[in-house]
Amino acid sequence: MRKLPALAAALLMTTTVQAQVPQGMTPLLHSDLSGWHWSLSTHHGSTGKAVFENGALYLSQAPYGQGGLFMTDKRYKNFELYLETDISWGLNSGVFLRSTETGGAYQIELVALASDSPAMTAVGSLIGEGVAVQTARPSDLRPIWKDGGWNSFRIRMTGDAPKVTLWVNGQQVLESQQPRNAKIAGETAGSIALQLHWNATYEPQIARASEGRSWKAGARIGFRNVAIKELP
Amino acid sequence: MRNLLAVLAASICAIAPAAAQVAAPPQSITNSVGMTFVLIQPGAMQVGVFTPACPTPPAPGTAPAGPTPPPGVANPPPVPRDPRNEWSAADYQACAEIVARESSPGFRVEVAKPFYLGKYEVTQEQWRQVMGRNPSTFQGPLVNGDTSKFPVESIEWADAQAFVAALNRREKTTAYRLPTEFEWEYACRAGGSGQQSWADIRATAVEGGTAFGRYGGERVTPETPAPTTRQVGTKPANAWGLHDMLGGVWEWVQDPYNGKMFADPSPARDGQVRVLKGGSFTSDVKNAICATHAGGPANGWDVGLRILKEAP
Repeated sequence: MRKLPALAAALLMTTTVQAQVPQGMTPLLHSDLSGWHWSLSTHHGSTGKAVFENGALYLSQAPYGQGGLFMTDKRYKNFELYLETDISWGLNSGVFLRSTETGGAYQIELVALASDSPAMTAVGSLIGEGVAVQTARPSDLRPIWKDGGWNSFRIRMTGDAPKVTLWVNGQQVLESQQPRNAKIAGETAGSIALQLHWNATYEPQIARASEGRSWKAGARIGFRNVAIKELP
Repeated sequence: MRNLLAVLAASICAIAPAAAQVAAPPQSITNSVGMTFVLIQPGAMQVGVFTPACPTPPAPGTAPAGPTPPPGVANPPPVPRDPRNEWSAADYQACAEIVARESSPGFRVEVAKPFYLGKYEVTQEQWRQVMGRNPSTFQGPLVNGDTSKFPVESIEWADAQAFVAALNRREKTTAYRLPTEFEWEYACRAGGSGQQSWADIRATAVEGGTAFGRYGGERVTPETPAPTTRQVGTKPANAWGLHDMLGGVWEWVQDPYNGKMFADPSPARDGQVRVLKGGSFTSDVKNAICATHAGGPANGWDVGLRILKEAP
């Protein structure tokens, strides 16, 4: 009985302590998930699971190996995007920028921090998904990264040949001026999309072990305080 | 007994050529706008097979294998390594249990009647001849040169229906229509399974740019053009003589989309969202397979059609 008030207080702490959307930005994520949809044509899958609990969106595979792309209905070109993410170990996700409906996009890679690796595919890298983007790596995130908790990302993207700037936990870690617009058909705008990576084909056809292990069974990724400010 | 067999054999021999003479439609036909169709014979297939594989634990004492780059791709990105990202024995066990629970043998689908299916996707020129205009994105300033034999795209499902109706009026027939999803998938498989091997996909699919499993990290120069659609029929046909079933442009079929990974055994007849098959040049080896059951709208500029003509 004595423990109950303490428990309640602890619960209250966890829900009120979480950071809020930065001032001047418009919240993008609501508890009814309005304004977002699953792509029905991306190779990651179309049957992923999205649940909203304790103020955060959690994405997980359904069924095994089938991911998806959870994306905004609205398309953005120049913007500043803010979000916080809680990345479980053993998964591969990303924030897609200017994404097409099928998932051709600039991508900020999201994986649990691999503290011994400055690899291109490490968290915070700018890479291309289905389009030829000039990849860029962030500076060393180890001093500022919170293992096993929420980390904040602020991404600024402007221009036809975009300039992408990334801040992680308030510190600028990447700036990349792309040499050209990499998008197909001359498009310059697209959805903000959250990637739920696939890791199995319908029937056994895994060609690369790294893909087979890229999403642990039952793993999920959290996003909260997703907000945007459109720029001219 | 011997006599009976001989009589039976004789009657079969006598009947077969006669039946062939009466019923055999031509293997291939060409219509008034130059569209070629291939005769697809009846048969059956297993749809909705879902038997994913869990990864295999690495042999004791060895590090997990990193990615093997596709041929011709230099400088693959290194793989981030952290023991906590690797699979534990419990992870492999959890995977095996989930897969055992979620696997499905699918269901049998019979294609009862023969039909003709377009050997290629409908081209921009064929669409213009029937509809009087070309709605495609990939022409003019976006593509150098003649795009008349590129697949028509930037069409919605209702546009595909209007095209079929106009072609029927033009040829005074009712034989043209969109294929059903099952007809399309049966012809795509050409006797194989719904999941093609990655080597087979790369051999026959019309790819574009950095899609189809190539790395986004490859060298980019200002001269590297963004991918576009390409002329139909430049890749080898499938086993039944159909080109570009995989990749190229997504193809509208008749069926409404059911929000599931696969079609239902008895597909619904109406719905707002329609099924797309075959992937497009922006797709990947993961989904440019015959079994993929996608829904519109995709990207517009990667959506076209292939039409069916009913056999007499």
